[in-house]
Amino acid sequence: MLKTQDLGYWYQDKTQPLFQGINLTFEPGKSYAILGHSGTGKTTFLSLIAGLDKPKEGDILLGDRSLKQIGLTNYRRHDVAIVFQAYNLFTYMSPMNNLLTAMAITEAEHAGDRAYAKQILNDLGIGDDLIDRNVQHLSGGQQQRVAIARTMCCDAQLVVADEPTGNLDEDNTKAVIDQFQRIAHEQNKCVIIVTHEPDVAAQCDHQYRLENKQFTQLA
Amino acid sequence: MNFFKRAWLNIWAKKGRSILLILVSSAILMFVLAGLLIRSAAVKATETAKNDAGATMTLSANRQAAFKKMSQSSSSSSSKTSRPKLTLTPVKLSDATKIAKLSNIKNYNVTSSTSANAKSYDTVSTTTGMGGNSGGPGGMKSSTSSGDTQIDGVTATSLTTTFSDSQSKITKGRGITASDKNTNNVVIEKELASQNNLTVGDTMTFKETSGDKATVKVKIVGIYKASSTSSASAGPMSTDPSNTIYASYTLANTIKGSKYAGTADSVTFNVTNPAKVSATKKAGNKLISSKYSLSTDDASYQSVKASMDNVEGFANKIVWLVAIAGTIILALIVILMIRERRFEIGVLLSLGEARWKIVAQFFTEMLMVIVVAIAIAGAGGKFVGNQLGSQLVSQSTTTQTTTSTTSGQPGGSGQPGGTKGGSGGPGNMQATSTKTKDPNLEIAVSAVDLAELGGFGLAITFLSIMIASGGILRLEPKKVLIS
Ligand SMILES: Nc1ncnc2c1ncn2[C@@H]1O[C@H](COP(=O)(O)OP(=O)(O)OP(=O)(O)O)[C@@H](O)[C@H]1O
Ligand SMILES: [Mg+2]
Repeated sequence: MLKTQDLGYWYQDKTQPLFQGINLTFEPGKSYAILGHSGTGKTTFLSLIAGLDKPKEGDILLGDRSLKQIGLTNYRRHDVAIVFQAYNLFTYMSPMNNLLTAMAITEAEHAGDRAYAKQILNDLGIGDDLIDRNVQHLSGGQQQRVAIARTMCCDAQLVVADEPTGNLDEDNTKAVIDQFQRIAHEQNKCVIIVTHEPDVAAQCDHQYRLENKQFTQLA
Repeated sequence: MNFFKRAWLNIWAKKGRSILLILVSSAILMFVLAGLLIRSAAVKATETAKNDAGATMTLSANRQAAFKKMSQSSSSSSSKTSRPKLTLTPVKLSDATKIAKLSNIKNYNVTSSTSANAKSYDTVSTTTGMGGNSGGPGGMKSSTSSGDTQIDGVTATSLTTTFSDSQSKITKGRGITASDKNTNNVVIEKELASQNNLTVGDTMTFKETSGDKATVKVKIVGIYKASSTSSASAGPMSTDPSNTIYASYTLANTIKGSKYAGTADSVTFNVTNPAKVSATKKAGNKLISSKYSLSTDDASYQSVKASMDNVEGFANKIVWLVAIAGTIILALIVILMIRERRFEIGVLLSLGEARWKIVAQFFTEMLMVIVVAIAIAGAGGKFVGNQLGSQLVSQSTTTQTTTSTTSGQPGGSGQPGGTKGGSGGPGNMQATSTKTKDPNLEIAVSAVDLAELGGFGLAITFLSIMIASGGILRLEPKKVLIS
């Protein structure tokens, strides 16, 4: 469903691109892990996929339309959901209102449906006692699960995450990765996760390593 | 609208910050309101000053034209007559009635002065020994020779500036009113009364100074007290002010002689709206011949108006200065707020929220703040306005009274008083009418003030958000969230 075509990106120096000539395909119902040393450009790549920035070279296609054609704001609203390492949530809202707000902005099918949002939060272990509490009073792991719940309640077919388990302990990491797997396999969405941790990567359906300006698929 | 809900959630969740914002906005708006209140109070006070200070217009003989005629006739026929004669045409009352019909005229007072010689009583002699029945040096006399008793014929004493300014006060009985027309009722001065043992209801007699020198019997209906400073009809040959008797102008005309019936020395019109006095003068001039002239006096109105204009101008400056400073302060606060909330904005952008809706959210938040602030400022602005207003008025009136004394010279002919026909007329009156009443600023919060305050509040909010929104519009979600 998502394809990169001769994708390339650099910050200042055109002769020193982070990556160049990237041709990858991401399918729905699958999860992908992107590994790589620090500073190789994983986050940069993800920001292009997420429609937060424009490629310097090449193109990204959703189906048969390029992101340029769709328009980045429109693309972010309807087609992609993003989970960051931190700062994912509206700090002045409860988990419930975070979900309702995201559904309203993305014009999701279940927009305004509190029962639906509550179900998803409960599934992710956010109990009724936490649902209407301010998210700042939740633990890091709980907050990350709310962020994942947000991607689940929206209709975007593509879910990208940048080191979503970076701040979490082992138990929470496992729970979060399990959820991503469910999103891919049960909701039939395409999940792309950037991670440092080989354990996390190993649980995904496919693994890529960014090295020497190129992506190589690991066996 | 989702941004509206977000705005509300944010304001509610961050109560401390919201209260701080409300306090800052209230302070700004309170000063704006204080300025607005002082300004509208100044406008109102100027309105009141029109009625209180008033302005007058006086119809009298055209001295300039008369002098011109006199000098012309003297040059052409200098051989025949040794002494040119100044003929001042008495004002016709029919002209006065015509002018009185103009829309801006409130009422009018007819003045006709003459003199007579005491018969049944003794005049009060001045301590300097001057005056008395000496008659003084010749001077210029229009038709009558001077007697020891000054008779000021008026329509009503209350319409004269001497009485309306409280320089003279009725102490017993009543003043001359319009109903005393064609009667021999008079009002005499306290000192004259006590010296001759006269009181209200008594009669007294005096003799005409010209013609058949007939004896006139008059009835005292009131006693007045002239203030010590009211030696108004000054002039070297004038008698003691206590010897001035007020009567209806008809009585004065009768004493002057039959050809003076239906005439007056001058007629003073009180105008309703002093701001339009010159237009009224213009209209009045069309109704009269060049033998007469209309002079206006709005000095006291002008001085009150000038002092109020000062206050109004200052209040205007306050309003704009505070509004501009307030906008800048609020804009800076919003800019800081936006910096502090850039992650939230980044998340909104990553969810695909339109930038204008993010701006709208901030605007809505500030709007909620400003509405509460307007209410608070509305309650507190009256207090600040009162404090500031009284300060301003006391300052500006002291500066104004010093300038008003110089601006209040008699307009009109500019000839020295002393002609019997004109004494007590315009020159005299104008000199006394410059007294300024202290203008009072009444500070009250009206619905209009609140509406105007609301307008300023909205404009300040809108402008500060516009200034600050540049930050939102430029914000790159990638830079915010990935670093
Ligand atoms: N805004 C920027 N301007 C200039 N250079 C940048 C900018 N953002 C990132 N870089 C550089 O681009 C390179 C890739 O950065 P990026 O964040 O994509 O790496 P990463 O693979 O995600 O690293 P990490 O694993 O540490 O998160 C780094 O060398 C970084 O210094
Ligand atoms: Mg990174």
